[in-house]
Amino acid sequence: MLSNTGNILLLTNIFLGIFIIYFSFQNLKDNKAFISKKIYQLCLLQSTIIIISFLTLIIAFVISDFSIVTVYQNSHSLKPFFYKVSGSWGNHEGSLLLWIIILTIFSFFFLLYNKDHPKNYRIYTLIIQNILILGFLSFLFFNSNPFSLILPIPKEGLGLNPILQDPALAIHPPLLYIGFVGASIYFSAAMASLLVDYSGKRFAQSIKNWVLFSWSFQTLGILAGSIWAYYELGWGGFWFWDPVENASLLPWFAMTALLHSLIVLEKRNLLYFWVIILCLLTFILSVTGTFLVRSGILNSVHTFASDPTRGVYILMFLSLMIFFSVMLLFNKFKSRNYVLNSNSKETFILINNWFMIFYLITVLLGTIYPIFTEVLTNHKVSVGPPFYNAVIIPIVGLFLFFMSTGPRVKWIKNNFYNLNLLLKILLGSILINFFITYVFDSYSLISNFIIISALFLIISSSIDLYQLFTIRKLNLSRVVSHLAFGFLILFIGLNYNFSLEKDFNLKLGEQRIFKDYSLEFKDLQLQDFKNYKAVIGEFKIKNKTNNLEDTLYPEIRIYMKPSTITYEASIKTSLLKDYYITMSNIDRSDYYNIKFQKKPFMIWIWISVIFISIGGFLSLFKNEKKNY
Amino acid sequence: MKIKTISFFIILSLNIVNAESSSVEISSILKNLRCLICQGQSVADSNSEFAQTIKLVVKDQIDKGRSEKEIYNFLIDKYGEWIVYKPPLNRVNFLLWIIPYLVLVAGGVIIFLLFKKRVNHR
Repeated sequence: MLSNTGNILLLTNIFLGIFIIYFSFQNLKDNKAFISKKIYQLCLLQSTIIIISFLTLIIAFVISDFSIVTVYQNSHSLKPFFYKVSGSWGNHEGSLLLWIIILTIFSFFFLLYNKDHPKNYRIYTLIIQNILILGFLSFLFFNSNPFSLILPIPKEGLGLNPILQDPALAIHPPLLYIGFVGASIYFSAAMASLLVDYSGKRFAQSIKNWVLFSWSFQTLGILAGSIWAYYELGWGGFWFWDPVENASLLPWFAMTALLHSLIVLEKRNLLYFWVIILCLLTFILSVTGTFLVRSGILNSVHTFASDPTRGVYILMFLSLMIFFSVMLLFNKFKSRNYVLNSNSKETFILINNWFMIFYLITVLLGTIYPIFTEVLTNHKVSVGPPFYNAVIIPIVGLFLFFMSTGPRVKWIKNNFYNLNLLLKILLGSILINFFITYVFDSYSLISNFIIISALFLIISSSIDLYQLFTIRKLNLSRVVSHLAFGFLILFIGLNYNFSLEKDFNLKLGEQRIFKDYSLEFKDLQLQDFKNYKAVIGEFKIKNKTNNLEDTLYPEIRIYMKPSTITYEASIKTSLLKDYYITMSNIDRSDYYNIKFQKKPFMIWIWISVIFISIGGFLSLFKNEKKNY
Repeated sequence: MKIKTISFFIILSLNIVNAESSSVEISSILKNLRCLICQGQSVADSNSEFAQTIKLVVKDQIDKGRSEKEIYNFLIDKYGEWIVYKPPLNRVNFLLWIIPYLVLVAGGVIIFLLFKKRVNHR
């Protein structure tokens, strides 16, 4: 029953997409200055129906309707209610449906919120967005239908992969999708802008909020994924430079570059084609990322939904997108004379873009290079953390320095340069770094460099923040994001540099002493839960310098459906540090392999990222207030 | 005067020597090795038998007094380049290492050229 409802709804949506494109072209022909009511209504209907079809899928998951393949493969009647719901987008088909919802809703709202822009620009944006919607809808309907039936109807589902049963992962796809699927709307707008020659400040204003909105969500989405990796994958890190993680980071780099150069387009009417390229690039990178993840072409710890036939379709779609956007760009490209002063805000924004593109190319290359070497030379290589650390980290310091000075520089031409202040800030940063090194009693050249430059950014942004309250002329959202970014790099630097890691084998009742700590294996229990059994260890960690004690309970979980063993880390979070313990059994022995980690300032990494995106939201509210 | 003070602090902060950094750290080596039978996990993070074996091999190599680089080369000879997360610089991986820096230089040149135009217009 639900299957039929879902299919009918999807089919209706395909027709609605076609109607919208048809009526849009009709509407272009008449001479009226406004868009006909019919189109608004169709778009509203389109959004409503796609949401209802998604609700249908959620209901199918909640009532465990195993006649639907997707539900059968990814759910189980014993699964907690929360994960039944989140399970509906925790699989390939459901997440693709979510993807289409965002395409559709963004399409509707873009139409609704840009009434003061010319009709043909809005109509073309709508047409291109609907072509995207149709492309993904037909892929969903014909290749990855979430409502396909299975016969005979199974009595029980296979269950959701246990490591996907996590709150952070439940919110990860929606956040991330609002980010990089939201980028579709400025892909369409950029194409429309080229088609109808609607350029300059007004174009920048029409997409600015959409870029901010998607950027802020993308940031949060990456954060949720990273938190999930930290909690679930059990190795104590939050970023592994894994292909799937990189896939979410690539559009973020492009978006960040776009966010900055858009300001130049808005304020100075420069860089129009560069902005267009970034708009197109962002969504193309989003689809590329999806292709890499879903086709299973790359070896990744996060690959859960790969299937080569999906890959072929996405690749075709991607090639078409790239082909048409590049062709249109070449057709419309006019060389323009830019007048830039080396000491102006424009230049510093270009420098931001310069670094963003460097990061983007490095990460993109590192992600896809193994594919090329394997295909062309049959030579398998791995590109992992040490490569990215070696290439990117030395450049970060320089980037942070520009990031600190750039925002204070004036538009067009900056006359005054406060070298004295910069030197003082640098001195302060070095002093603080010296103090940090002294406290932690450990040293490495490169991380000192990073910490110093992060401190430099923090101090100069703090000065900006102070001036903000005295002069009230600066941009609060910028200061918040930049300050938070400085803190992010600082805490990553501290975390990376001063983590303590110990790996050893322990038997029940044994104790291990290292550095200032003692770790005692106190207890081991077997417990039954609703959908799994768990072996729970009890460990007491004691800090000898201040005599504080903490108890941690790492688990080995045995899930019945699907039968899997997972190792659950036990994490004790506090303001200054996290303790992190994982435990795994060793075959044919009483010993357990224990990994103990002390990770300083872990929670501050998360908080910094949240503040980076808060900066984006602040800017969004400010723009909204200006408009009304 | 100021520059003298600054350089004093820079030198000071560079001179702190830590005894641990000179010895070969087993955990950092294990993190840079791929567990070949796992889905994108490093040897350090994996519980698989393969990872256990590699851990023993690396420990053994360190006991023999081999340097970090020698250990990587030893493992590459045995398992291929796929086992190390930092691809060695050779003919195949040349582009991987060079392109990012080319982009960096090219970007700088482009931005610089944009200023040049300004000078010409005057």
